[in-house]
Amino acid sequence: MIQVGHLSKDFRLTRRQRREHGPQYKNAKTIRAVDDVSFECKAGRVFGLIGPNGAGKTTTLRIISTMLKPSHGSVTVAGYDTLKQPQEVRRHIGFMTAQTALYDRLTPTEMVQYIADLYGMEMNHFEERREKIFSMLDMQNFSDRRIARLSSGMKQKTSIARTIIHDPDVVVFDEPTTGLDVMTARRIIELIRACREEGKTVIFSTHQMSEVKLLCDDLAIIHEGRLYFNGSRDQFEGQMKEATYEDEFVRLVEEA
Amino acid sequence: MGWLIILIKELTDMIRDRRTIFMMVVMPLVVIPLLATTAIKLTQSQIEKAKDKELRVAVIGETAAPELFKRLSKEENFFLVTMTNADSARAMTAEQTLDGVVIIPQDFSEFVEGDKQATIRLIFKSSESLNAARRRIEAIIDQYDREIVNERIGRLQLDETLFDAIAIEREDVASTEEKFAENAGGFLPYIFIIFGFMGSIYPALDLGAGEKERGTLETILSSPASRFDIVMGKFLVVVLFSIATAFLAMLGVLIMVYQFLPTIETNITQTVMDMLGPRRIFIIMSMVLPVSAFFAAVALAISIFARSFKEAQSMMAPLNIIIILPAMIGMLPGFKLSAVTAAIPILNLSLATKAILGGSADPILIAEVYLSLFFLAGVSIYGCVKWFNREETLFRS
Repeated sequence: MIQVGHLSKDFRLTRRQRREHGPQYKNAKTIRAVDDVSFECKAGRVFGLIGPNGAGKTTTLRIISTMLKPSHGSVTVAGYDTLKQPQEVRRHIGFMTAQTALYDRLTPTEMVQYIADLYGMEMNHFEERREKIFSMLDMQNFSDRRIARLSSGMKQKTSIARTIIHDPDVVVFDEPTTGLDVMTARRIIELIRACREEGKTVIFSTHQMSEVKLLCDDLAIIHEGRLYFNGSRDQFEGQMKEATYEDEFVRLVEEA
Repeated sequence: MGWLIILIKELTDMIRDRRTIFMMVVMPLVVIPLLATTAIKLTQSQIEKAKDKELRVAVIGETAAPELFKRLSKEENFFLVTMTNADSARAMTAEQTLDGVVIIPQDFSEFVEGDKQATIRLIFKSSESLNAARRRIEAIIDQYDREIVNERIGRLQLDETLFDAIAIEREDVASTEEKFAENAGGFLPYIFIIFGFMGSIYPALDLGAGEKERGTLETILSSPASRFDIVMGKFLVVVLFSIATAFLAMLGVLIMVYQFLPTIETNITQTVMDMLGPRRIFIIMSMVLPVSAFFAAVALAISIFARSFKEAQSMMAPLNIIIILPAMIGMLPGFKLSAVTAAIPILNLSLATKAILGGSADPILIAEVYLSLFFLAGVSIYGCVKWFNREETLFRS
């Protein structure tokens, strides 16, 4: 479960950024990346955070994962406040982006072990999870090879394994399929579905409407830091005035 | 124990990195002795060559001084020619057709025989062949000059002391150790300061900017490891690499010294062996430790601030100069450890090493050096941890 309440995030602007952002930021000290955003992600459901590039998706997800601190508002993850109990929050989440985020000079086994150690997993539990995940993803035959020498598909599997090794209650995916080939992207989609079936809370960000249809139970549309829609997919479809998801998305953003 | 997990992982990772290992082991242990050996061998062979080189020397007015001409022509590896025109001889020396010209005045004999001073003009090009022509011609003339003077003294029945009113008896109280430390002692700290810094750069680049580039920064930041654990784990690995590189560089210098000493006098050999004994090396290394910590903290701070590996590398470059400068000043003879210099980081390490090697280290000043270095290390580690906690540093856009 993730609860985001009236979340705002301001970033300090450097002198160069002030120039680059145009005349209205000439004297501004900060820029608001997320503006009064509230939503809730429930366990066993997939929540999609939809928006174009620069909408504030990554910032929101980084705040949920405690990498950034909110300027206003609050976020609780699995019942823990991200500001007051960041360590507990981190213990309960897994974080994944489109980048495989692996260490080239380690092997998949070592990579997964490192993450498990950071999460303080017990040896027995770890070995059990590793066996399960490695056989599920068919990773045994390359688990002791250096990651640098693996194919991109093998790397993606390793990346999945390290995301879920500690069996997190909440999984955060930041544009997980961006730039991936069809086969690899499908594996991520399968992973998201599997997480839902296991009753985990899943939040993922994307700008591809096709994925929304494929995966989301609930969704929020975010643009320039503000929410334009927040509800279930059925509600979204019910209020649609355009024929396709994509057109509806554009309409919502443009009308606001 | 998050920091320990991170330390072990980063250590495994870095040890598998060939580039880092090359910088840490191969550079100091192979490249330093090799470079130094080559430089020394080359200088020696240049000197030998200059000694044996056949020099073309022109003499103008040789009939005025037949004895001198005879002496010049007896000199080995002198190819002697006689000329008459001074201007063309000068031009030929300038364009190196000739190595030197000796111009003897017509009235040379008159002056010499009249117990007066004759003047010989010598044309040479000092920028060529290590000035060999001038040195060798002057040696011959000096010898001839001494013989003439001795003959005059004998003939006039004068006392030799008449021409040498004051004699100097030199008594040097500096031990061989002190002399060696003063003249060559700055070289050792120069080497391990530079290498200590170089040893910290690659791991720092990889552990900071590299983490951003791979996207793994988010993975570890979203793990339960605290920011402090993350910085400490990484910091300690960089320190380890820095100090190991500095130590190996020192070993490289020792190898070089032991390789060359047998060709030098034996009493110096013994002195140097005593100077670089394990106790002194240990004291010096204990001062290298806080400097390595400083290097590690600064390099890591820069690396984590940079958006990419490349940016970090270019930010690191100017730092080189800031570090080399005090190390170079420390190498200059004349600079000594004092209450002021003992407080200046890096320079103080260099000067303290010199003092320790010379066996003349003042314990109070050494304590000041420790204080200054550990203070610097403490501040830089604190700064690095603070730096790592800033969102603007980690997620710079």
